[in-house]
Amino acid sequence: MKKWLPIASGLATGLLAATVFFADFSPGNPGQAVADNSKNKTNAEKVYVPFGEKDEYYLFASGGHSGQMFIYGVPSMRHIRTVPVFSPDSATGYGFDKHSKEMMGGFTWGDLHHPAFSETDGDYDGKYMFATDVGNSRAAVMNLETFTVKDIIDVPNTSGPHCAAFVTENTEYMFLPTRFAVPIGREYAPLDDYSEKYRGVMSAVTFDEKNEKLNIAYQVALPPWSYDLSDAGKKVSKDWAVMTTYNTEEATTNLEINASQADRDFIVLFNWKELEQMVKDGQYDEVTGQKMIFPEKHKGGMYLVPVAKSPHGVDVTPDGKHFIASGKLAPAMTVFSFEKAFKAIENKEFAGERNGIPIIKYESVMEKEVNPENALGPLHTQFDDQGMAYTTMFISSEIVKWDPKTGETLDRVPVQYSPGHSVAAEGDTVAPDGKYLIALNKIAKDSYLSVGPSHPESMQLIDLRGDKMEVIQSAPVNPEPHYAQMIKADKIKTITVYPKDEKDPDAVYSQEETRIERKGNEVHVYGIAMRSKFIFDAKAERPDQIEVKKGDKVFIHLTNIDFDQDITHGFAINGYDLNIEVQPGQTNTVEFTADKAGTFPIYCTNFCSALHQEMTGYFLVKP
Amino acid sequence: MAGKKLSILSSGLIAAAAALIAASLFFPWWGMEFFAPQYPEGLNIIVYPDKLEGEIDIVNGLNHYIGMKGFSEENFPEFTYLKYLIGGLALLTMITAILRRKTVLYFLIGLFSIGGLLGIWDLRRWLHDFGTDLSPTAPIKVDPFVPPIIGENTLANFITNSYLGTGSFLVLAAFILILIPLWKDR
Ligand SMILES: [Cu+2]
Repeated sequence: MKKWLPIASGLATGLLAATVFFADFSPGNPGQAVADNSKNKTNAEKVYVPFGEKDEYYLFASGGHSGQMFIYGVPSMRHIRTVPVFSPDSATGYGFDKHSKEMMGGFTWGDLHHPAFSETDGDYDGKYMFATDVGNSRAAVMNLETFTVKDIIDVPNTSGPHCAAFVTENTEYMFLPTRFAVPIGREYAPLDDYSEKYRGVMSAVTFDEKNEKLNIAYQVALPPWSYDLSDAGKKVSKDWAVMTTYNTEEATTNLEINASQADRDFIVLFNWKELEQMVKDGQYDEVTGQKMIFPEKHKGGMYLVPVAKSPHGVDVTPDGKHFIASGKLAPAMTVFSFEKAFKAIENKEFAGERNGIPIIKYESVMEKEVNPENALGPLHTQFDDQGMAYTTMFISSEIVKWDPKTGETLDRVPVQYSPGHSVAAEGDTVAPDGKYLIALNKIAKDSYLSVGPSHPESMQLIDLRGDKMEVIQSAPVNPEPHYAQMIKADKIKTITVYPKDEKDPDAVYSQEETRIERKGNEVHVYGIAMRSKFIFDAKAERPDQIEVKKGDKVFIHLTNIDFDQDITHGFAINGYDLNIEVQPGQTNTVEFTADKAGTFPIYCTNFCSALHQEMTGYFLVKP
Repeated sequence: MAGKKLSILSSGLIAAAAALIAASLFFPWWGMEFFAPQYPEGLNIIVYPDKLEGEIDIVNGLNHYIGMKGFSEENFPEFTYLKYLIGGLALLTMITAILRRKTVLYFLIGLFSIGGLLGIWDLRRWLHDFGTDLSPTAPIKVDPFVPPIIGENTLANFITNSYLGTGSFLVLAAFILILIPLWKDR
């Protein structure tokens, strides 16, 4: 206890200093960047991507509670696209067409936290992007040929997978640990029974690439703590993964105080290969339809590593030999050794257990504690091509560059302000690129034109190529950049039009095949969109009208037969709260009940050609 | 009439011509490329003896604005028999090479010339037909036009470039090959 006293008091002083410091910033002057004009010019050149040329990297930034993913180009920091994932988006008709509506499962929003690329041999392969929803406990996968979401699953027993997604070296699994402990099956249980009945379930999710489907392989009923961040092992540690946890106090109220009491929390260290084997050997219980490992009953594969109180980030070095934890409430980074941990496990150097999970002795696995002077609130670490570490300091608003081998502080750069995560170019692969780091700042106080009391968040691009780190670009963002991934642009191979799918019974690729079929009270429309008209039934007197009776169930299958790059059509029914999109070559379906009688114009929402304004029709509902 | 036989060399040249004509079946004969600000990469119509290639659907989609009929293989009856005519010509040329008779060669050259002229006339007829028979209800009115068989033409925001394809050059080369014996064996 004694040795934590100076640290705690240091932290308190730091907090105070940071607050005072903050208040001292004069408005409209974010740091010293503005002062030096010639330096600004050089920085502008460093991020300038002339028209006609393209950025070197894609940045996939989680959109937090917008439920969306924001795509940027780096180094220009130009916003390229917003991809809706967990929230409906009328710009793309997402959440209105049949497939995306089904995927949304009745939810109207999500809290997209940690995006993660699919990997091959520990390197991004540019094929898929995974994301999790803390708001409604879901996982999603986006195809990077089309930048569209292919599957979303509800993850039962898991509540708020904040600590995910992180994928293993060959995308065998992505793990979703829980932030808010709940009873299994989310059944009612009084908070007095928290320690007995509540659990922080972790789910092992698999991805079937052929069918583009997510699935839950098994779950682990971890103790009722809050799981915060995680990373998969690499190379020597590839079968392992680490995650931080707080509230090992198992407090049930006023967590700000009550979950910050213990000197030490834990890193959960687990071997997913071993857990996989345990499931194969039948060492699990069947609960709520899931294969659930209970650590107190099914022994093996899981260990606890003591770590300074309330840790946030835990990151595996590119060589896979170490993992670095950053103590949100302890002003230090701790470097742990996988090899030491493996040895300690072999020699059973345990200091007892918690909830049936052995605790590895701190001294047996800790390599060094690193505490850069006055750097406060270390959160998350990224790496460059030399293996150097870059840690965001939430409270002292800076990025600190340091050497994990020696613990020596190499450089520091202020950012504006309060960086949570940061992302380096391919920074969590086995082979980071160096070059760039982006600080994902939680506030941007006075940095941009005012938009009222709530300011935009910000991202700042830091050049890692020189001797000194340098902030060379700053971009406001929609709420909230939580975490991001940066991938070399040439790794992503998008398609320009959807290929014809002759087997799709809903698709019609020629005007002659268009038709409207009635089956009882169901009306099935097989129509096409092309520049600049809709044809729902080519033989009808008015091929661009759909007439139904009130109460009919309407199925509109629409194929965009413009197999021409970027000729996207929209389909909206005025006054019917419907809007879908068909990209070139795509067939899309909207299903609804015609519950309002009347006359409702149909129009193309996505500007497609000179006669876009004429691309209309009528939806008539007989009373 | 049973004049001198053509020399072995001439016969060989004619045989080579036959091979070139046969080969031309597998190459495009004629093409048209369209450029517009929105299509800097260009759109193509590529004509083989028996089929169309290129961004035909896209070109048709754009052409409907000016009321032009759609290009499709069904619209050109030539596609059903042209390859047999060319194949037949290759066969006749081969027979000429084997027979090594001057009269047959004269006949072949005559046939070749007539066929070639008919081909050019046919292409020009189609270009005229498509460019002048525009739908009166088209959303955008343009003056009737006839693109050249070879060369540039400007239409609305499009610059078109018509050109001969590899197949045409092969046949042209074959024609020259069968002309050489006329001079060699004179
Ligand atoms: Cu349209």
